[in-house]
Amino acid sequence: MTWIYTRNGENRMIAFKGQEDLFKLIGSELKERTECIVIGGSAMMYYNAKEGTKDIDLVFMEKKAFDDVKNALKNLEFIERKSVIKIFKHYELLKKEKRKPVFMGGRNTRIDLFLKEVICFEISETILNRITEMHEYNNLIVKIIAPEDIILLKCATEREKDRIDAFELIKKFNIKWDTVIKESINQTKEGKAIYPVFLYDFLLELKEDLKADIPGYVIREIMKIGEKEMIKRLKKK
Amino acid sequence: MEITKLAKKLEGLHTISSIAKLLNINKRTAINYVSRLRKEGLIKTTYGLRTKARLYEISTYKKREHPLGLYDIVNKYSRVKLAASQEYKIHKELTIEEALIRIVKTQKFRLILASLELFNKVKDWPELFRLAKKEYVGRKIGALYDITRITIKIKKMDKRTRKGLLNTSIKNKYIIKGLKSKDEDIKKIERLWKVYIPFNKDDLDIYKEWRK
Repeated sequence: MTWIYTRNGENRMIAFKGQEDLFKLIGSELKERTECIVIGGSAMMYYNAKEGTKDIDLVFMEKKAFDDVKNALKNLEFIERKSVIKIFKHYELLKKEKRKPVFMGGRNTRIDLFLKEVICFEISETILNRITEMHEYNNLIVKIIAPEDIILLKCATEREKDRIDAFELIKKFNIKWDTVIKESINQTKEGKAIYPVFLYDFLLELKEDLKADIPGYVIREIMKIGEKEMIKRLKKK
Repeated sequence: MEITKLAKKLEGLHTISSIAKLLNINKRTAINYVSRLRKEGLIKTTYGLRTKARLYEISTYKKREHPLGLYDIVNKYSRVKLAASQEYKIHKELTIEEALIRIVKTQKFRLILASLELFNKVKDWPELFRLAKKEYVGRKIGALYDITRITIKIKKMDKRTRKGLLNTSIKNKYIIKGLKSKDEDIKKIERLWKVYIPFNKDDLDIYKEWRK
C-alpha cells in the first residue's frame, strides 16, 4: 500500500494509489455490487486536490450496503473502534442507533462508515444528482461527491485541516456558489435547521482569515437563511 | 496571469480565437497561454469533426489517469462519438466482449446506438456468447448484431455463436424498457430474435452522418 509520511514520520497518510488498492480489496471481498459515496479528503484526491488523507470516509444510502462493507472490512482484519472521535460525539447524545457511524481501523488506515448523514449534514437527493464521477472496483462502486458538496461537508466539522482543504478547493475550482446556497436551503428542509448557521461561520472564517475568494453575496445570502431558520426555531419554542 | 486564475477563467471548450476574444488579447498571446496550460497538464486537445479546428478542453485541475470507461471505449472504437454526462470508470481490463454486454445492460439509448460498431472489434465470439448467456442478454446481442449488419460493413459472426445466441434465454424482451421499432425491416429481426429493438432506420442513419 502507498503511504505518505508527514515530516515527523508519525502521522501516516494514505495516498491515492493506496486508497485505490484498498477499494479493490474491499470490492473483491464483497459478494454483491455495493454502492457508496466518497467524501472529504478521499474525494479530493480524485480531483487531484490533495496528495493523501488520514482517513477514508464512505457514506452509504442503504443499511445493507453499510453492513456488507463493514463485514468485508472485518474479513480484511479491520477492527471496529469503539471510542468515538470528538467531532462525532453528538451521535452518542442523540442515540441515533440506526444511523450511527462505524469507525474501522486496520492496515494503518482508518475508514469511517456513515449511513445517509455526516454529523449535521444529510446526503440529499440533490447531492446524489450532482455526482459526475463513478469508479468500479470489483464489486465496490464508488461515487465521488462534487467539489461544492465537499465544501458543504467540510463545514460540518470544526477542524483546522478541513478549513485548509476547503480553501484549497475554492482556490482550484470554479465553485458554483448558487449550488452551495441552494443546498444550504435544502438542508433546512431535510430537518437540519441549524446547518446554514454553521455554514455562515465557516465561509466567513475562510474569507476573513484565509482570504478565500468567496463572493460577498454568498455570505450575505447564507446569513439571511440562517437568521430566518433561527427565528423559526425561537418561535417554535 | 496566474495559471490557476487563467484556468478558472477559461474552463470549458475553446479555440484559439475564443480564448483571444474572451481575454481580449491577440492570437499569439492566446497560443502562449495555451502552451502554459498544456505544460501544467490542464489542457486536452481534440479536433472538430467538420472544420478539423483544434479544440482545447481546459480544466482547472490536472485530471488523474484512470482506466477506460464504457463511454471511452465507444469513443475509441466507434465512429459515433458521445459526450458522457457521468464518468464511469472500471478498474480492471475490460474486453470489447464484456463492454458490449455491459452497454446493453445499461439500457441507455445513445450508448447502445453508438456501441454497434464495437461488433467489428470482437475477437472472441465464444467469449461473447458465454458472457451474454451468463447475463441473460444473448438474444438481445444477436438482434443488435443483425441490425448493425444492415447498417454498416461488419465482421461475420461465427455460426456456432449465432446458433448459441438464438437459443439463449432472456429475462425480458425489451432492450430498452418500452421501446419497439416501427420499421418493417427491423421488425423482421425482432421476430427472428424474439426481442424488441429500440431503433428505427432513421436512428441508424447516424452512422452515415459520422462517416469515418
